[in-house]
Amino acid sequence: MSRINILKKTVFVALAIIAVRLFFIQIVEHDMWVAKANEKHTILETISPKRGEIYMMDGNEPVAVVLNQTVYSVVIDPAVTSKEDIKKALETHAKKYITANLDEVYNIEGLRYYIVAKNVPYTNAVAIAEEGISSVWLKEGNARVYPEGEMASGMLGFVNADGLGQYGTEGSLNKILTGKEGTLKTIADVNKVALSIGSDNIKIPAEDGKNIVLSVDRNLEKGIEERAINAINNTAADHAAVLVMDPNTGVVLAMANLPNYDPANYGHVKDASAYINQVTEVPYEPASICKSFTYSAAINEGKMNGATTYFNRHFEVVDDWKIWNAETRSSLYGEISMMDALYWSLNTGSIHALKLLGDNPDEINQKGREKLYDYYHNKFRLGRATGIELIEAEGYIEDPNEGWGRNSTYANMTFGQNLGITMIQTATAFSAVINGGYWRTPSIVKGTLEKNGEIKPLENRETVEEQILSSETSSIMRDLLINNRSWKVRNGTDRPGYSIGGKTGTAQVIVNGSYDNEMNNLIGSYMGFIGTAGEMPSYVVMIKMWGEGQAIGSGDAMDLFDSLSRYIIDYYKIKPKA
Amino acid sequence: MNRKHKSDFGILFATIGLMVLGLIVIYAIGPMRANVLNSTYGTNYGANDFFFGQLRSVFLSLVAFVLAFKVIPYDLIKKLAKPIMIVAILASVLLWILAESGSSLAKCELGECRWYNLGPVSFQPAELLKVALVIYLADFLTRKKEEGSIGKFKEFWLPLIIVCGLSLGLVVVAQGDLGTGVALMAIIFGTLLASGVPMKQYLIMLAIVLVVAVGAIATSSHRMQRIYAWLDTISGAASSDSTYHIENAMLAIGTGGLFGAGIGNSVQATGYLPESINDSVFAIMGETFGFVGLFIVIAVFGAMLLRMLKVAEHTSGQNERLLIVGVFSWTLAQVAVNIMAMTGLVPVTGITLPLLSYGGTSMIFISFAIGLVLQLSCYTSREVVKNEDISSRRGVGRTHYSSRRRRS
Repeated sequence: MSRINILKKTVFVALAIIAVRLFFIQIVEHDMWVAKANEKHTILETISPKRGEIYMMDGNEPVAVVLNQTVYSVVIDPAVTSKEDIKKALETHAKKYITANLDEVYNIEGLRYYIVAKNVPYTNAVAIAEEGISSVWLKEGNARVYPEGEMASGMLGFVNADGLGQYGTEGSLNKILTGKEGTLKTIADVNKVALSIGSDNIKIPAEDGKNIVLSVDRNLEKGIEERAINAINNTAADHAAVLVMDPNTGVVLAMANLPNYDPANYGHVKDASAYINQVTEVPYEPASICKSFTYSAAINEGKMNGATTYFNRHFEVVDDWKIWNAETRSSLYGEISMMDALYWSLNTGSIHALKLLGDNPDEINQKGREKLYDYYHNKFRLGRATGIELIEAEGYIEDPNEGWGRNSTYANMTFGQNLGITMIQTATAFSAVINGGYWRTPSIVKGTLEKNGEIKPLENRETVEEQILSSETSSIMRDLLINNRSWKVRNGTDRPGYSIGGKTGTAQVIVNGSYDNEMNNLIGSYMGFIGTAGEMPSYVVMIKMWGEGQAIGSGDAMDLFDSLSRYIIDYYKIKPKA
Repeated sequence: MNRKHKSDFGILFATIGLMVLGLIVIYAIGPMRANVLNSTYGTNYGANDFFFGQLRSVFLSLVAFVLAFKVIPYDLIKKLAKPIMIVAILASVLLWILAESGSSLAKCELGECRWYNLGPVSFQPAELLKVALVIYLADFLTRKKEEGSIGKFKEFWLPLIIVCGLSLGLVVVAQGDLGTGVALMAIIFGTLLASGVPMKQYLIMLAIVLVVAVGAIATSSHRMQRIYAWLDTISGAASSDSTYHIENAMLAIGTGGLFGAGIGNSVQATGYLPESINDSVFAIMGETFGFVGLFIVIAVFGAMLLRMLKVAEHTSGQNERLLIVGVFSWTLAQVAVNIMAMTGLVPVTGITLPLLSYGGTSMIFISFAIGLVLQLSCYTSREVVKNEDISSRRGVGRTHYSSRRRRS
């Protein structure tokens, strides 16, 4: 054989082997390699939606109180990025946003990706980018900005590092605010940068979260918080919660939890209880404020009116328990009208109303208990979630028949102890007492702010409007509650031409399982309404003040109410009766 | 010598066609390569830097090609065979000295110093050594044949072993370039086969060299690692850093399927496949053009190689014929070893695909070599020249001369 022919055959053999091999890889094994390639080249990313912003009202205009700001994380590749350069750049442009110790980061072997600064604002991030250091990336993120600072933090809540709304509005309306994540399925290069190669790339855009408009009036909120802080500073109380609502609609106009915390630095809060919204999430005993509910029940059942009298002995013995009045001045001993009993907040008065509900003026019976339960639980909806758009606690109302000591329990319930109800439940029930008898689901959300500027009410929201008291009952109750403040009028605190009514509540606090009779721990509350004289009240205000180990009487809460009522009259320019 | 006629059109067409194809591929994947390097190593390549680099290489290669094809007569090169070989060896020796002394004139990558650093350009003396060895062996083997000393130990084998051993040593040991080593071996044994060395001696020498090669591989952990990686890949064992290259080359080829993803749609070139524009360009072409495209590419290479042998068969001078066989062996070795490595048939040795891979020196020198083949293709006779065996040396020579006389 010719030697050139050997070389020719070598060419044929070599190329034939290669061709067969290529056929095997490209045709026979093709699907296997495609599957492998997909696994390797495809990245599946979620596209984060923009979180909705939160607005309050400024008159009739929505105004943002929680905004978004695009912030950047600075990412480096320690294997490539120059340590000295990035260190200098960070210290020059973003010193307070540094989250990593560069010396430690550069000591980790094989590290190719590390976030060295977080929440860097745009201008600072641009300055770092302009340094042109190799393998430095900026990762876009979102941070909440609070133009009003700490205002209403307990009601607004905050957004945690994972982008989840926590507490307050951020927590309860997290789903609406978050929107819907989008998906990006794409071929990517070795550094995970998306490529436009291939036809299987899928992009489902994110649906941005809705902007929420609260019914809360920003200026009112601010004014109320300022006065409440002032009250805290001038009394033994260290906490105050204030709720202002329209009794005729159930719309919340202000909701304050003081002291506030800084939602932008929520992690700096020492005690997590600061996050709790006292108005909706904490059931407590509003005490004598509830006498309004007991009176309303008995009046509505036709058992009594303000002129009805009973014999006040300063105390009542129920189930072998001696229940005392807080006010025991001798002039009150003897026959006394229910109106005066309410004015002096006599426990024996509200217990008498309970007896009347059972048609027996001498003792508490099952019928009375069941009637009171019907009003408290079924009509006033106490101990039940109201349906407001915030996170709510339910609380409880004792069963009228099940359990030991029903009579004493119910006697206590007539003046707002031995039950657990929230401020929003109490204020909503109180609104029904004075607004003509209508219980309406309270609300704090006006709706979502649409692109055209329209405010669209939230979808699928169940609301209740039910007349639970007759308008006569409500009218009598208004008079009784206004009478409660007759001294304030005489004293000149309440301006003439306005109808301002209210009820105090001083609650003993349960210490070690029973009421603290030493009265070292008291929660002071006040519930009142404000309006033009002779007209339906326009505003209901509820105040709760307390302090750890402090006896905060209703007097402190009432003083705050006095100042708030004047502020509200001025702010809303409520006209006095001519 | 035969009267001058037109050159071999097949070789010319294949050469130009492959260069253009290489340019197209680099144009498509060059931006991806630049992007990967920029984001991984912080370099500052422009999107078309690699394309323009390749364009420059193609231009210089065409200059070398035309010089060898049309300008420099092969008779002159023939006369300069020894000085060229000495210069080539000295170039590699000098590089080795520079590298050992740590001079910045020696350019090293991953610990292997294979390039001269000449400012904006670099030069790989191993490529010069390849073409020099081809020219030198053609001269040496022809001279020995004329002296009648082929097969004799002292006059033939000893000087041959010294020159070849020195070349291989410089390339494989000093420069750590196994790929060029394989190409040199192919050149040596291809030309030896055609030179008329007694077959028995040829096979013994081949066996000895293979034993030495196996020994050299087995005693080097670095080379054994490549063997293990190759074995792991073809056996489908667990992936590792060392199997990464072959796996990704085969992934690129495999995803190409019948017709490929099309130009600009290579994903593997976006950083997954190492050396995507150099040694692995065949795999990227597999992804881009599919089985059909690759089949055409190997068919073009095959046609070119067979045309070279055809020219050799019809070339009368022993020296000229051996030169063509040398260029053929060199080209075949690079094509076969590169593609077989990319398809997992042999371990990766780091060898470029002629005329297609990115890179200046290798393309310039192989273009020069092919240019010489084309120059010689202008002087072929119609009949197959039957003088390749030592036994037929004299008789054929006579007919050869008589035929020449007849023609002129």
